[in-house]
Amino acid sequence: MPQPTSPPARVAARDPLAWAVALLALAAFAACVVLWRTGGGTVDVAWASELDLRLHFSFDGIGALYALLATGIGAAVFAYATAYLPLHLDHQARPARDRWRFWPWMGLFMLSMVGLATAQDLILLFVLFDVTAVCSYFLIGFDRHERASRLAALMALLVTGIGAVAMLIGAVVLYADNGTFSIPELARLLHAQDAAGGVSTGTSVAVALIAVAALVKSAQVPFHFWLPRAMAAPTPVSAYLHSAAMVAAGVLVIGRVFQLVEVSDVVQDGLLAVGLLSIAVGGAISLTRDGFKQVLAYSTISQYGYVVTLYGIGGRDGATAAAFYVVAHAIAKSALFLTAGTVTMATGCRRLSRVGGLRRELPLLAAASALAAATLSALPLTIGFFKDELFFRAAAERSTALAVLSVLAAALTFAYTWRFWGGVFLGERRAGAVDDPGATTTPLTPTPALLTAPVVVLALLALVGGIVVGPFAELAADASGATLGHAVHLHLAYHLDARETWMAALAWLLGALLLATPKAWGPAARALSRAGERFGPSRVYELALDAANRCSDALHGFEVRDLRSRVAAVLLPGGVLALLGFLATPTAGVFQVGTIHGTDLLIVALLALVAIAAVVVAVTHQHIAIVLSLAVVGLGLATVYALIGAPDVALVAVLVETVVTLVFLAIVAYAPRGERPSRRELAGEASAPQRRAHRSRRWRDPLIGAVAGGAAFLVIWGALSRPTATERVVDELVRLTPEAHGQDVVTVILADFRGLDTLVEVTVIAVAVFGVIALLRRGRTW
Amino acid sequence: MTILTEAVARLLLAPSLIVAAAILVKGYVDVGDGFAAAVVVALAVALQYLAFGARRAEEELPVLRFAPRAAIAGLVVALISGFFSVLSGRAPFTHEPAVGERPFHIGRLELMTAVSFDVGVFLLVAGALVSLIHHLAEPAEEIDEVAAR
Repeated sequence: MPQPTSPPARVAARDPLAWAVALLALAAFAACVVLWRTGGGTVDVAWASELDLRLHFSFDGIGALYALLATGIGAAVFAYATAYLPLHLDHQARPARDRWRFWPWMGLFMLSMVGLATAQDLILLFVLFDVTAVCSYFLIGFDRHERASRLAALMALLVTGIGAVAMLIGAVVLYADNGTFSIPELARLLHAQDAAGGVSTGTSVAVALIAVAALVKSAQVPFHFWLPRAMAAPTPVSAYLHSAAMVAAGVLVIGRVFQLVEVSDVVQDGLLAVGLLSIAVGGAISLTRDGFKQVLAYSTISQYGYVVTLYGIGGRDGATAAAFYVVAHAIAKSALFLTAGTVTMATGCRRLSRVGGLRRELPLLAAASALAAATLSALPLTIGFFKDELFFRAAAERSTALAVLSVLAAALTFAYTWRFWGGVFLGERRAGAVDDPGATTTPLTPTPALLTAPVVVLALLALVGGIVVGPFAELAADASGATLGHAVHLHLAYHLDARETWMAALAWLLGALLLATPKAWGPAARALSRAGERFGPSRVYELALDAANRCSDALHGFEVRDLRSRVAAVLLPGGVLALLGFLATPTAGVFQVGTIHGTDLLIVALLALVAIAAVVVAVTHQHIAIVLSLAVVGLGLATVYALIGAPDVALVAVLVETVVTLVFLAIVAYAPRGERPSRRELAGEASAPQRRAHRSRRWRDPLIGAVAGGAAFLVIWGALSRPTATERVVDELVRLTPEAHGQDVVTVILADFRGLDTLVEVTVIAVAVFGVIALLRRGRTW
Repeated sequence: MTILTEAVARLLLAPSLIVAAAILVKGYVDVGDGFAAAVVVALAVALQYLAFGARRAEEELPVLRFAPRAAIAGLVVALISGFFSVLSGRAPFTHEPAVGERPFHIGRLELMTAVSFDVGVFLLVAGALVSLIHHLAEPAEEIDEVAAR
């Protein structure tokens, strides 16, 4: 008899990192509840007011709704993951320290979702959008030894990252027209423009770009293809990112910028069309999939299609229904994802065709996930019933055609949800992980209680929401109020005679019919799925990625093949342009030759030495001689700095020169020959065309060097002959230095007056070094 | 390498580090700053690598393996020193103590956020350079060995 809990699971109970993150989520959830009930609050810090960059967070209705989802669902999923992750690592024979690649990213993801939910500024929205994308990259690629995981992670990062760039462009266009990134301000300005005779095309395009970014994030057709691929992630990641967090971020943004979207009818109609298309495509493909998580991924595409459709319908009904829908869906979908993970852990299978009849072995899980499925398919006594009621009401108020479509959509949801649940828990028990269908059923691996408890909690929440719907309705009404900019009241109750109830009943009937007749629609749905794989947007993505790779390779090859020509291509135009500039400007009296006295003679002598060393570098063929002559150039100049009263520059120059010389020597040690081949040797060994090339180069290189060097000489001479306003800036800095509590002007400039520049520079150093490390050691830092 | 270079390298290590510390501490009143101090440290470490070879140098100075962490810590220190003022609504790099206030003293050492920023730069550059030395010093076959493990 196996132990009730396997060893890794017991280790999990003691993993302080996992519990710290899970408790952080729980604490954040409690804090969000308190903030919501007490009316929230606002933080507004203009940290770079010249650029209109502000840290503007406001815990309003939208903030409350999505922050509660991110932390609440987060707490449930994290609790689940404390038990799941050790088992997962154990199955793959990976060390326990790999959990450090999981928990920090999960925690950061949750925090950035809370930030995203409360952000009131388009730039902030963009930054946090990208933070979630980066976190998702590491989480989806958690199983980094698997190629599919890495490709899926890259795809999610690229697709949602490029979408975020669209949002940035939209934000900048809006800023150019209106002078602010603040969403409430923009909403006010755009509504004023709308009332004054319609917004400009540029504004519509900008708003459309922001909407596109949101649609990409919410995996809407035709940008949906990244989501099913992202199912390569461990199940807790899918349950969190792809039910309540990452994909929810897209509709969150639509809800946040809805007042901007409203002013453009085209964009809003576009949302409606994309939403309906996503419902249809996601639903139809979901019905054809065999993998648990694939079914759920396509159903997520379809479900967020509902939300986008509702924003497309717009108005009070649409916005309220959308907010409510997000809540109900997140609770149910995360429970179903967690169910899929538990079933996989227990049976070792990830396909519907391999399992079945698990209702007897896993009765509690079956009951809990049945509640979740009921929520998703909008059965009464669950919170899901109201989500569809609001959906039907919004659709029917808009037009009869939409009402019909909404019933069909709900029928589709009913069918794929129960197909998933029935496939797992009903029917006959199948062979399990073994590929041979004739094999006997394998006994289930016992799973820790924590792999079931979160599902039960979420299911109970869905059930409570179906009976005591008040708090959830209030939450949705608050969010809708923040979306629309005016207060909204929502009262939900069961009305047996209402039009929406009859629409729901019709949808269940149609859904049951769909479930009962798989042969009728199966071939068509599978054909759609195949066509999507062959000609769909994921194919476009692959082709584009290939083309980008080839282009980059070609460019790299071109650059590396002939380094001298590349250098010449920079030096020659630079020199020629500078010379042309001198020809165009009056230069009479600009070039002055000063006088030399006293210690200046020493400087002149040093400069002569530097000049001689420079000539040696140009003519010598021995590598060592080149390196040492370069060192003479550098150290000679450093001494000149010291003599003309710049000790700070001199110190850094000496140090850097030493480092550079050492690096050069090290490179020379690696070089295959001790000498650069001389011209005569080259001429002797080379073939006829090579000889021609060398003959032309014999004159080309010195000529280019002379042009560039001459231009640089003239520019520096001109600059030194005419002391300009820059000196006054220097004087000002020198005067201010004591006030900054310093005596060394250079250090004070670096650390104080120009501190931000220094920070950016050292950040570049850090990024460059870790880039080198990544290339040399595949990411091992030591 | 000869006994002479080994002896010189051993002798020079402590003085170089003292010089680096002096450059760093005196940075705000005298020539030098965190960057220069970090390069001095890197040169001192590079000398050890040259004299003893990568393996022996790292055996004798086990503290070197904290270099990547020092770099990250330095970035964090620099970020905090630069941006803590944003929390109270002032521009980034508004240093404490403000103009006209007296800095806090320990002996003759003045404690200021500008100096802590410089310390952050020092840690970052020193950590980064030492990491680079480590990675460039280790020969290719050892890398393969590490990869095989």
